[in-house]
Amino acid sequence: MGRALTSRTQQQLLVGIAALVLLGAGFLPLVLAALELPLAGVQGLAHARAALAAPATWTLLVRSLALAASVTGLALALGVPLAALLAKTDVGGRQAAFLVHAFPMFLPPFLLALGWFHLLGRRGLLGTEATSRLLFSFAGVVLVLALAFTPVVTSLVALALRGIDPSLEEAARIVAGPRRVVTRILLPLAWPAAALSALVVFALAFSELGVPMFLRVRSYPAAVFARLGGVEYAPGEAFGLVVPLLAVALGLLGCERWLAARRSFPVLGPRQRGTVPLPLGAWKGPAGAIVWALAAVSVLPIAGLALRASAGGFAGVPAWIGASLTNSIVCAGVAATIIAALGLIVGHALARGRRGAHLLDAAGVLAFVTPAAVLGVGLISLWNRPATRVVYGSLAIIIIGDVARYGVVGVRTMAGAVAQGPVEHEQLAAVVGAGFARRLFRIVVPLHRLGLASAWLLAFIFCLRDLETAVLFYPPGREPLPVRIFTLEANGPESVVAALAVVQVALTAIIVAAGATLLRRAQRA
Amino acid sequence: MTWGCLSLLGLAASTCGRGGPGVVAYTSVDQVVSEPIFRTFEAQSGVAVHAVFDTEETKSTGVLNRLLAEAQSPRADVFWSGDPVRPFILIARGLVEPYVSPNAAGIPAPFKASDGAWTGFAARARILLVNTRRVAAADRPASIRDLASPRWKGQAAMANPLFGTTTIHMAALFTAWGDEPARAFLHEVKANDVRIASSNGEVKRLVASGEVAFGLTDTDDAAEAVKDGAPVAVVYPDQDALGTLVLPTAVVLIKGGPHPESGRRLVDALLAPVTEQRMAESAAHMPLRGGLTAGTDVRGLDRVRAMQVDYASVASAMERIQPFLREWVGL
Repeated sequence: MGRALTSRTQQQLLVGIAALVLLGAGFLPLVLAALELPLAGVQGLAHARAALAAPATWTLLVRSLALAASVTGLALALGVPLAALLAKTDVGGRQAAFLVHAFPMFLPPFLLALGWFHLLGRRGLLGTEATSRLLFSFAGVVLVLALAFTPVVTSLVALALRGIDPSLEEAARIVAGPRRVVTRILLPLAWPAAALSALVVFALAFSELGVPMFLRVRSYPAAVFARLGGVEYAPGEAFGLVVPLLAVALGLLGCERWLAARRSFPVLGPRQRGTVPLPLGAWKGPAGAIVWALAAVSVLPIAGLALRASAGGFAGVPAWIGASLTNSIVCAGVAATIIAALGLIVGHALARGRRGAHLLDAAGVLAFVTPAAVLGVGLISLWNRPATRVVYGSLAIIIIGDVARYGVVGVRTMAGAVAQGPVEHEQLAAVVGAGFARRLFRIVVPLHRLGLASAWLLAFIFCLRDLETAVLFYPPGREPLPVRIFTLEANGPESVVAALAVVQVALTAIIVAAGATLLRRAQRA
Repeated sequence: MTWGCLSLLGLAASTCGRGGPGVVAYTSVDQVVSEPIFRTFEAQSGVAVHAVFDTEETKSTGVLNRLLAEAQSPRADVFWSGDPVRPFILIARGLVEPYVSPNAAGIPAPFKASDGAWTGFAARARILLVNTRRVAAADRPASIRDLASPRWKGQAAMANPLFGTTTIHMAALFTAWGDEPARAFLHEVKANDVRIASSNGEVKRLVASGEVAFGLTDTDDAAEAVKDGAPVAVVYPDQDALGTLVLPTAVVLIKGGPHPESGRRLVDALLAPVTEQRMAESAAHMPLRGGLTAGTDVRGLDRVRAMQVDYASVASAMERIQPFLREWVGL
C-alpha cells in the first residue's frame, strides 16, 4: 500500500511540475491578457463592445473562417490522394517525392509567400500582371497556405495508411482491385487521420497572420493585431476580439476530442514495414508525374528565394545575419527539450486517461490556437517586472514563449506514441512494485524513444519556424532568424533578405535530414 | 541526448548573462538604416547596442506599444522614432526623460522640444511616387487630393492608415483641414478604389511594378525605387497650397531606462551632424541643419514648401481619429 502511495505521489509530483510549467508558460499569460479587458476601463470596454457589435467584425470573422475552410478543403483534395499514392502504391520515387513535398511544412509560411512573390510578383521570374493579381488576392492566400499546409494532410494520412493492419489489406486484395482496396478499405480506415489533419490545417490557416498581411488580404487575426499594433494600444480590447477566436478554438478542440474518442492519435514515424505496394499498372507513369509535379510545386517558392538570393544576396549575409542564427538554434533546442520532457509526462498521462490531463491538453491547445500577439501581451505582463528582468531580458523569454505556444506539440506526439504502444509492460512493472518514476524512465522512455525523439524534433522545428510569438517580445539584440528576416523584409536589400531566408531553409533542411536519419537508424536498431 | 540538452541549456544560460555594459534602443527607423549607425556607435564608444526593430507593417507602432506595455518596468534607454509624432504619446504618459543634447544646438526650433523631451533630425517627406510608364510628365498628379480624383479611380495606392507615417499624414490632414473635410476626403478616397497596401514599402513596389499609376509614400522609399532604376518620378505634393508634410526622425530618452548614461551617449551620437549627413547620403533623408547636403534623390528642405504643422496637435489628432480610421479600414 505504502509503495502504491509512493508511486501515486511520484506521478502527482511529476505531473504537477509539468502542469506548473505548461500552465505557467502558456495559460497564466492568457489569463493576464484576459485581465486587461476589465482593466481597460470604461472606454476600453466600450470599444471592445463596439468592436464586437460591429457587423464588420463578424464579416471579417466569416471571411477568415471561409479562408481557413478553403485552405483546408484544397489541402484535403490534394493531400489525401497524394498520401494514398505515396503510402500505398508503387509510384516511382515515392520516398524522395514525399520528402520534397513535405519539406515546406517545416518553414514559416511567410517565407513561402515571399518565395512566391519572387516568382509570381510582377517582377518575378514567372510574373505577369495576372499572376501578381492572383497572388495578391483571397485566392492567392488560399493557394499559398494550401500548398504550405497540404504536407500536413499528406503526412498524417500517409502515416495512418501505413499503420493499417496489413492483414486487412491483404484480405481485401484477394477479392478486389487496387482502386477498390484504396477507396473502400484503406481511405475509410484512415479517415480519422484525414479529419484530424483537416482540423490542424484549419487551425493553422485560421490563426495565420504573416501571409494574409504580406499579401494584403484582410483577416480576423489582423484585426486583433491592429488593436495591439495600432497607435491606440488596447490589449483589453484586443482580448475582447479574441473571444470569438476562443469559441472557434474550443469548437476545434471539441471536434478533435470527438475524433480522438474514435481513433488513437497519429504518430510520427513509420509503424508498419514490408507491405507490398499496390501495383498501379498502366497508371504508374501518369500517377508518378502527378506526384512529382505536386512535389515540385511545393518547393517552387524555395527555388524563387534561392534565385533571388543568388543575385548577390549571399555576400550580404554575414553583415546582416548577426547572432540571429545562434539565437534561433539555442532557443529552439532548449524549448524543444523542455517540450519533449513535458510531452513525456503530460502525454503519458493523457494517453492513460489520468485525471486533469485533458485539461492540461486543452490549455495547451488554447495557447496554440490563440493569436500569438495576445499571448505575447500576457507574457510581457507576467515577466516584465524588476524581479524577473533576467528572464525578460534574455533568450529565456523566447524559450518560455515557445514552450507556451508549442507545448501541445510534445504532449500530442507523446500521447499518440504512448496510446499506440502496449500498456502491459507498465502494468507488469507496477505489479512487481516499480514506482511511477521508475516505470516512466525505465519502460516508457526506452519503449517510446522514437516517439520522444519525434516530439523533440517536431517541437524543435516548430520553434525554429516561429515568428509570431517572438516578434512581440524578443529581447533587444537577440532576435531569432525569422524575426530578423521579417523586420528586414520590407526595406532591407531584397537579395540579402532572400539569402537570409535561404539560410533558414538550409538550417531547417539540415535539422530535418539529421533527425530523419537518426530516427531511421534507431528504427532499424 | 542528455549531454546535448545540457549543452543547450548551458548555452542558453550563458546568453542570459551576456550583455554587460550596453544600451537598449528601440527604433522604428528602418533596420537597414539604423543598424549600421548603431554598429558605428558601438565601434566608436565601446558600448554595445541591444536593439529592437519594428516590422514594416506595424512601423512606429510595434515598438511604441512595446514601450507602453513595458511602462511599469522600462527596458529601453532610447527610442529612436521614425517620426516626430509618436514620441508625444510617450511624453503624454510621462515615460520620457527630457535631455537637451549638446548636439541638438544646430537643429531648427520647430523640429525639437525646448526642454529636450524630443529632438528631431534627418527628415522624410510624404510624396507621390508616379510610374512614368503609365503617366506622362504633363499628367502627373500634383496634390494629395488626386487620391480621391475620379480620374485616378482604381489606379492609386496608399499604405494602411493604421500604421506608420500614413497615420500621421491622415492626422495632419485632420489638423489642417478640420475633421469633417478630412473624413469626407477619406470617404472619397475609399470610393475611388485606392488600393490599401500593407506598408509604404509595398506602395513603392506597386508603383514601381506598374500595378498602380501612383501612390502616397515616403521619400526614402521613393529614393530606393529611383536607385533600383524603376520607372518612377517623385512629386512633392501641394507645392502651391497646403505644402508637403515633412517628418523628421526623433529621438527620446526613456525615463527609468536601465542604462541612462549610455542612453545619453547614444542620443548624442544620433544627433551628431555626421549621423544626419550619413542618413542623408545613405538613406535619402533630408538634413534639417544648415550646412549639410541632401542626397541626390531627395530635395533639401530649402527646396520644399513644407506643410505647417504642430506635431503635438497631430499627435493628439492621431489618437482621436483612431476609431474612425479603424472603421474606415474595416477592422
